[in-house]
This record gives sequence, structure tokens and C-alpha cells, in this order.
Amino acid sequence: MSGRIFTGDEVTADTTLECDVCVVGSGSGGAWVAHELVKAGKRVVMLEEGGYHTRREFDMTEARAFPNLYQELGNRTTDDLSVSMLQGRSVGGSTTVNWCSSFRTPERILKIWRDVHGVDTLSTEVLAPHWDAVEKRLHIAEWPESAMNANNRALWDGLGKLGYERGLIRRNVNNCLNLGYCGMGCPVDAKQSMLVTVLPDAVEKGLTLYANASARTIEWSGRKVSSVRAEILDPVKNRPTGVALTVKPKLLVCSGGAINTPGLLLRSGLDADGRVGRRTWIHPVVVMMAQFDREIAAFSGAPQAVYSHHFIERGPGKVGFFLEVPPVHPMLASTVSTGTGARLQEVIEDLPKLQVMIAITVDGLLPEEEGATVALKDGAYSRYTLSYKFIDAQVEAFRVATLEMAKLQFAAGAKRVMSLHMDPVVLDSEAELSKLEAAEYGPLKHKIVTAHQMGGCPMGKDAAKSVVDPHLQFHGMDNLFVVDGSVLPTSLGVNPQETIFGIARWAAGHIARAA
Amino acid sequence: MKMYLPPPGGRDSRRGFLKKGLFGGLLLAVGGGAWLALKGSAEVALPTGLKVLDARRYAVVLALVDRFIPERPGFPSAKALDTARAVDTILTLVDDSSRVELNQLLMLFENALGNFLFGLRTTPFTRMSALEQQQVLDEWMTSRLSLRRTGYLALRTIVMSAYYGNALTWPATKYPGPPPGIHDPAAPVWKGGGEPRPLGNGVMLEQEAAPAPVDGGTP
Repeated sequence: MSGRIFTGDEVTADTTLECDVCVVGSGSGGAWVAHELVKAGKRVVMLEEGGYHTRREFDMTEARAFPNLYQELGNRTTDDLSVSMLQGRSVGGSTTVNWCSSFRTPERILKIWRDVHGVDTLSTEVLAPHWDAVEKRLHIAEWPESAMNANNRALWDGLGKLGYERGLIRRNVNNCLNLGYCGMGCPVDAKQSMLVTVLPDAVEKGLTLYANASARTIEWSGRKVSSVRAEILDPVKNRPTGVALTVKPKLLVCSGGAINTPGLLLRSGLDADGRVGRRTWIHPVVVMMAQFDREIAAFSGAPQAVYSHHFIERGPGKVGFFLEVPPVHPMLASTVSTGTGARLQEVIEDLPKLQVMIAITVDGLLPEEEGATVALKDGAYSRYTLSYKFIDAQVEAFRVATLEMAKLQFAAGAKRVMSLHMDPVVLDSEAELSKLEAAEYGPLKHKIVTAHQMGGCPMGKDAAKSVVDPHLQFHGMDNLFVVDGSVLPTSLGVNPQETIFGIARWAAGHIARAA
Repeated sequence: MKMYLPPPGGRDSRRGFLKKGLFGGLLLAVGGGAWLALKGSAEVALPTGLKVLDARRYAVVLALVDRFIPERPGFPSAKALDTARAVDTILTLVDDSSRVELNQLLMLFENALGNFLFGLRTTPFTRMSALEQQQVLDEWMTSRLSLRRTGYLALRTIVMSAYYGNALTWPATKYPGPPPGIHDPAAPVWKGGGEPRPLGNGVMLEQEAAPAPVDGGTP
């Protein structure tokens, strides 16, 4: 039995549907759980707030990609704008626009979840068969060293020269043309995003997917969810059309991702005594730019091919970080960078010679950390109040990471490196590293960005300290599950998509039995 | 059913950083600085077709664009690209709450009272010389007050997006743009409903993996 994808323009009258399971969100968690549920014979309706954008529209321009494929046009931020967030918003969620990096969950993190948070259901052994299946379906494989672009090569060479640990990234691609436009939607469907793999697989098996359907509230009473009320959005204007879509499922799965799943739960009064939206982790990222004499062309080629976990564990009380590189296209480069006027123009006018490294800090592992808090914002439709409480250990990690990236860039042959301080710190040689030592670090002192959002509905055994149980069932509710990055009790220390794929596929087994 | 009910007055009306800033300005006005708040903006011709910006805010955006994107050989002029109008277009796409905040921010930036409060200047931003405007921007960028650094970032981001999002700026940055012949604007869009799914890189031709194994516990 074939299902169907509906877009907002096709839903012109108020509609009520009944089904076994309603899944809200079509990203890395929702897609896998929906796929496994339809395979098990369940009638599944999926609601996705974003649009159904496909390679027909993926013209590889930032001007088209950011308004259509990212939350808040790519400008989701904390309230004080100290942290800029890249998060997907379309069918396929962030998998449509991410940079394809695929890692299994580190054993160290699973142990922390087990020992500290009481998550006794997940282990490498439990998740391994799911990761095997995911990796096979999504063609996840190591990207060959011979194919890495010069941006990654600079990190690779720098790591080699300084004797730091380094590795090659595994990517979910099939017949990849090594173009470099993954962040704008793959124009040839080589990226094995949910958009082109698991979701259409599920539709072939019966999934009914509504794009441009914004789930606004969950109706519930006692321990039971009875329905989800969604508003249909105009696919072009991205505004409610006035048409309502109501889904009455036997069981509800929230898979809107960290930030949007807490938002839906909070709008519905399901706040778990104030815990929903708290302990949100974002892998805060600091960035260093470098100018080279040779061409780097960081906009061309697989965006991420190299990583280093050399600094992932820095000892008790310290915040660890891992190193990667981002793609560098002009609009994102201009908005993420700092400085204005001629200073910025001097940097950006030779974009092909610009090399960029990122240090991704690991949050949520120290007991004193609170991370980010998501709360409702009056007068907003798709925005939330977001705040992040940085601690001294994170600020120290920003300083160390910035210095290490500068060293790596000089080791790789940079002629000049530039921090992303509000007033950039510029070094013409390694002898000037003291300038970076002397600089101030912390929010609004320099740019902090994130592309990984986790937590906000953390899993745990203790209902007084978590939102969902170790099976991802909302504490105190019989037919409500959360299956997305929001359930992670901590951040990961690796790019998160494969962790979420694996957990979602694992959870689908017992959700199918409960539905 | 327990539903979310915001407390009277709305929480963010007390917490929003912009409103805090404006509230501070209001106190000063009551204290005798009201005449500063009433000083007019530079007069600029308002183009037709703007959807969000009014004359005063458009003048501020024009001035900001001039400072953030100065004339430079090789770079198309922001005026020629109509970057201020592109800012207006972006504002039509954002959440209503973002539009309200940005409108407030533009007026806070322009307000002579605010400029007096922050830098003892008595001139609206749009009536300052280019040098003075640059000094004001630099002060906002590095201010000890997070309110000003936040405001600076908001304005910078939207202007940069509006300018560098335009493909006509690519030659200035030596960005080659997307390789030709890759994007297919006529690619099929499949929605299921019984239609056969077109073959492509996302289609798995081999036999699918076995169903998800059941875990050890039942909730």
C-alpha cells in the first residue's frame, strides 16, 4: 500500500485523521521511527512544519537554501545573539542540509548515560545491529584521503605536523560528485538524507506525510494523548493559511528535534515540572580563519573529511573539544565572520584562499553545567526564548581551542590567521600567539556557533531528573514518546546524526508493540 | 487538560533585551532628555514597494549598509544592488516577533537620545558624518554592554545576508558559484500515491535490511 506526501497547497479544508501513530517531525529520529512502524504494519501520519523541497529546487545557492531549508532562515540564535544556530527545517530535517559526517556514539558517552543518568537500555551491543542496518541503507563509508579537499587537507597536514591524533570521517553518500554544496541540499541526491532514502521508502510502504503542517498543541488528559492540532502553512509565504489539520493517533511520537520538540510540549502544558527545554546541549563551536598563499577553495569538495579527537578528553574539570572544518561559501562566511567594512572585504575578497577550522566543544559532561534553556516566547510563532549559561571551564576551552587551531593553521602553511572576536585578533606568525592568549573569551566576546542541538527532553530513569524514561516514553504518559536529539542526556563529542538514527531504529521496536 | 497560559503582561515584555534598552531610554526622557528623542532622521527618498521598513527605518538601514559595505574597487555598490530593499525583503520572511524586535533596534540605533546615553552624541545616526557613524558602530561592536554588542550583531547579520546573498557579489570574492550542468530544475518530484518512485541515488536496489530487532525491555 503506497502512502502519500501532501504539501500545504493541497490541504485546503479542515481535516481530521485517525491513525495508529502520529510522528511530529521528519528528521533523523522521526524518519527512522516512522519507517520501522509502517514496516511493522502500522498506519502512520507524519507532520512536518517545513516544506517539501527536493533537488529540483536545490540550485546550490545560499540565497535559496537558507530561507527554505533552515530554521529562522539560518538565523536561529540565543536571545543575546551570542550563539548562532544552524538547524534544518524541511522534509528530512537537518539531514537535508548537514555535512554528512557519520559517527557511532562513543562508548565513553554511553557509559556516562548509564552510570550518571540511569539509561540502562542503550549500549554499543544493543545499538550495533541498528547502526549496521543504517550504515548499509545510507551507504555510510569512510571518505578516501585522496578525495579530501584542500580545506580538510590543511587540518590533516597540521595535525600530522604537530603529532596530534587524526582520522578520516565516514559519510552517508552514494555516487557523491564531491561538489561541496551539501549545506544547500544535495542537487544530485547523493547525500543519503532522510529526504531521499528512508522517508520515500516509508511512503512506498504506506506513510502519509504532511509537509507545511505545524503541530501547535497536543491535546491530552490524565495519562493519555488524544490528538495533535496542526496548522497548515502556505508553502511560499510560510504563514498559517487558516486550515487546521487534526490527527487522532493511538500513540504520539515527538521528533521535532531539540528546541522544537520542547517547544511543542511546552505549548501543550507538558513541561515535566519545568524540566522540558532545560539541559539543552549544543556543542558550542569556536572558529578560526586563515589566509593561505595557495588556493584552498573551501567551498568545493566534501565539506568534512577529517576530524581530530586529540583534545576530546582534557582531564577532570576540563571541557574537551574535537576539530573539523566547515565549508566556506560567501554568505555564511560573511555572516559568521566578524569585522565590517574594508576589514571584512579584505578577508573575503580572496575567498578561494581562505581556510577555516572549527573546534566543537563537548557540553553536558560536567556536573555544574546547565547548558541552554528553551522557553516559549510571547508573540512568536516559530521562535523560542533561548539562553545558554556558559561556565568558566567552557571559556577556558574556547581559549585553548583557538590557540590550537592557530597553531595547526600555521603548521599547515597559513600566512595569516584571524580569530572571530568581535574585533578580530590577527596573527602574521606563530610568534604572535600571545595576542590570542591576551584576548578575552566568552559569549559576545567572539563568535560562537552550533550546528548540533541535543537535549531538552533528556532520558533517564529518575522521573524527577529527566523527561523521558530509558525507553523514550514521556514520564507519566502512556502513549507519548520522544524520539529525536532532544532525548540525549549529554552532548556526544561526535556529529550526532548516526546516534539519533540508531536510537530511533532501536526505539521503533518497542513503540510498534505499544501502538 | 493543562494548557500553557502566559502570565499577565507576558514574560518577555519584562525580559527582552531590546525592551530593557528602550525602557532605559524612556527613563532618561522623563528626566529631561525628551527633546533628543524627537530629533528627526535624515530625509531620504523612500522607494515604492517596501513591505516592512518605513521612511525613518529605511534611512537607518541605508546608512548601515553604507558603513558595513563601503565602496571598494571590484565590489558592486550596495546601492546598485539595492541592499536596503533586500533587507526589507528578508524582514518579510522572518517571524513576526523578529520583525518587531528589529524595528525596535533600528529606532534605538537611530535615536539621538540613545546615542546621547551611550556616547554623549546629540545627533541621530542618519545625520552623523560617515566617520562618526563608523565610530558608533565600532563602539556598539566592542561595548561593555551586551545589549549593544547583541544589537550590533543583529544589524550586521541582516545587512551581510542581504548583500552577500546576491550572486552579483560573487566575482568580488572570486567565488565561482555553483558548477554548471549539475542542478536539474526539471527533476521529478515524487509524492507517492501509487506513482512509481523514480530511480535515483536514494533508492536502495539491494534487498533491505531485516526488521528492527526487539530490544530487551517493554515499556
